[in-house]
Amino acid sequence: MDFTLPESAREVRRGVAAICARYDMAYWQRCEEQKRWPEEVWAELAKGGWLGLAVPEEYGGGGQGLLELTVATETLAASGAAGGSAFTYVLTPGFGALTLARHGSAAQKAELLPRLAAGELETCFALTEPDAGSNSLAISTSARRDGDEYVVNGQKIWITGVQRAARMLLVTRTIPAAEARPRTSGLTVFLVDVPQAVAQGRLSYRPIPKMGANTTPSNMVFIDDLRLRATDVVGEVDQGALVLWDVLNPERILLGASALGGAEVALRAAVAYAKEREVFGRPIGANQAIAFPLAQVKAKIELARLMLYKAAWLFDRREPCATEANIAKLTASQAAWEAADHAFQTHGGMAYSLEYPIARLLADARVGRVAPVTEELLLNYLATQVLGLPRSF
Amino acid sequence: MNIVVCVKQVPDTATERKLSSKDNTLDRDAADGVINELCEYAVEEALKIKEAHGGEVTVLTMGPAKATDTIRKALAMGADKAVHLVDDALHGSDALGTSHALAQTLKKIGFDLVILGSESTDARTGVLAAMLAERLGTPQLTLARKVDIDGSAISIERVTDYGYDKVTATLPAVVSVVEKINEPRYPSFKGIMAAKKKPVQTFGVADAEIDTAQVGLASSWSEVTEFAVAPPRAAGTIVKDEGDGGAKAAEFLASKKFI
Ligand SMILES: Cc1cc2nc3c(=O)[nH]c(=O)nc-3n(C[C@H](O)[C@H](O)[C@H](O)COP(=O)(O)OP(=O)(O)OC[C@H]3O[C@@H](n4cnc5c(N)ncnc54)[C@H](O)[C@@H]3O)c2cc1C
Repeated sequence: MDFTLPESAREVRRGVAAICARYDMAYWQRCEEQKRWPEEVWAELAKGGWLGLAVPEEYGGGGQGLLELTVATETLAASGAAGGSAFTYVLTPGFGALTLARHGSAAQKAELLPRLAAGELETCFALTEPDAGSNSLAISTSARRDGDEYVVNGQKIWITGVQRAARMLLVTRTIPAAEARPRTSGLTVFLVDVPQAVAQGRLSYRPIPKMGANTTPSNMVFIDDLRLRATDVVGEVDQGALVLWDVLNPERILLGASALGGAEVALRAAVAYAKEREVFGRPIGANQAIAFPLAQVKAKIELARLMLYKAAWLFDRREPCATEANIAKLTASQAAWEAADHAFQTHGGMAYSLEYPIARLLADARVGRVAPVTEELLLNYLATQVLGLPRSF
Repeated sequence: MNIVVCVKQVPDTATERKLSSKDNTLDRDAADGVINELCEYAVEEALKIKEAHGGEVTVLTMGPAKATDTIRKALAMGADKAVHLVDDALHGSDALGTSHALAQTLKKIGFDLVILGSESTDARTGVLAAMLAERLGTPQLTLARKVDIDGSAISIERVTDYGYDKVTATLPAVVSVVEKINEPRYPSFKGIMAAKKKPVQTFGVADAEIDTAQVGLASSWSEVTEFAVAPPRAAGTIVKDEGDGGAKAAEFLASKKFI
């Protein structure tokens, strides 16, 4: 067995870290406070080809896979972006490039992959609905066939990054959930030209005021008689589930990686403060009550990292990776939360001051236990699919 | 156009730099080696000239085996190939020795234009470009903040204390650059991966017909006989602002001849 990261992934770590080194914690704090996209970092990532890592070389990309994206996300998050801002990286290199490289038609690839490789085009992913979050198979956004076209109606919620997205991966039902046998059939994924749909008055959105991760807005999306062509379908009609698994597993892995990076940021802050802050004449880090939780977090971070890399490696080999992806996501998100929580405790009252980054880290880490999939649903998967326990739903 | 950029690996200024107790030379193993910052500007300028006028960019590095990291960095930025001059006989060379070794190598590999950073962060002699030009019998255009090439004519703006001089010459020539000249690019992912496959030719003293009597520590014109660790910095002067802080600060700066 060889645990050495491939050279490509090590170069990704070095290259992304070199760019991120020019942007400190204060930069990310400002982006969050001003609810502002990290334009500067984004432009540099685009220019260096770090956004197009997973686009095949024949389309101008880096020709790499999910492992390299995982390392890039983790590096970006660990540099100070933390979970909330590293989310930006998942939307386009993950949802857009990775999905189209694997499931796009020849025409979709030719049109979009070169622009995704150059970082000129951004994407978002729309699955969740007001009445279908954890139970995503119950979505009701419908795509009804009309001649050569499909007419789409429905409502989505929490859709992140619509504002900047030139294309949306939209998950619809071509067979209503109640009639679909098996339940995973009848889903169809479309590519929507967002600016065009907005201009036609067929798609509108409204940002949801939120607790954190404000570098990228999350939105309610309303779709009203939007007409799409058969050529806009990604994968096969009614067989969208096949595409969906290849979106959801990478999403779990990449958001696990951003959580992991966030955990690193929180742990770094906590360790620095524990060394420097003196109470009762000694650094607080000398107290095991402070030191042990941080040591425990370190152990969880390393465990999560191993499982993240393994899951990504399996995905790149086109082997089943759901169990590993779910374990990695669960563990990384818990590590991020525990890191932020203990960073809070370590900072004492100062944690509550917005001069310190703890509030941001806490909000970022907290949402990771719910999105893109809740901790309970991950545990449900392990309980039923891996342990064979009876289903609760 | 055949452009050769001389690139040096130097100890990372962010880490502690040490002299070796063995022979009082820089301990290159003790610190992380990084590309000399001004060399990045030299590489950038070479790439810009190539992009505008065509040709090929060759990196030339004299240094120990571990200098390959620095060579790869320059290749990742976009240089086409590299020559690594590496030989134990070169260890401890001073500027005269280094200029001899590099000049001999340049004669072997050929060039229309040689570009260097104006100095390195470790030795800081700043004389290499001039010495190289002399040994190669070409014009020297040093301390350039701008380079223009038109056919075989080359002109630069040389930074001076009072502004700049316009210096013109014909190719082949040796140019040294200052950091005002450009903004070095970050290597892209594709550049980094491609650099791993670019050719790096290794030269020893014999390959470049270097006269070993002119290089190495024994032939060096200067010698470090002893060294001591610099004393810690003394406390600074605090100027207290009692309404006249500006004037006091200006007075202090003037007394030190900063203004
Ligand atoms: C910041 C943010 C960004 C997001 N971005 C996107 C995006 O870009 N695109 C997108 O499509 N979606 C996005 N989402 C939506 C996200 O995927 C959902 O919020 C998530 O899947 C949970 O769904 P829900 O909110 O409907 O919770 P619900 O499904 O309503 O769950 C509520 C609670 O009940 C629990 N629960 C439900 N069923 C069970 C059960 N059987 N056993 C045990 N517990 C159960 C859940 O675990 C949870 O704790 C985003 C969400 C957030 C917060």
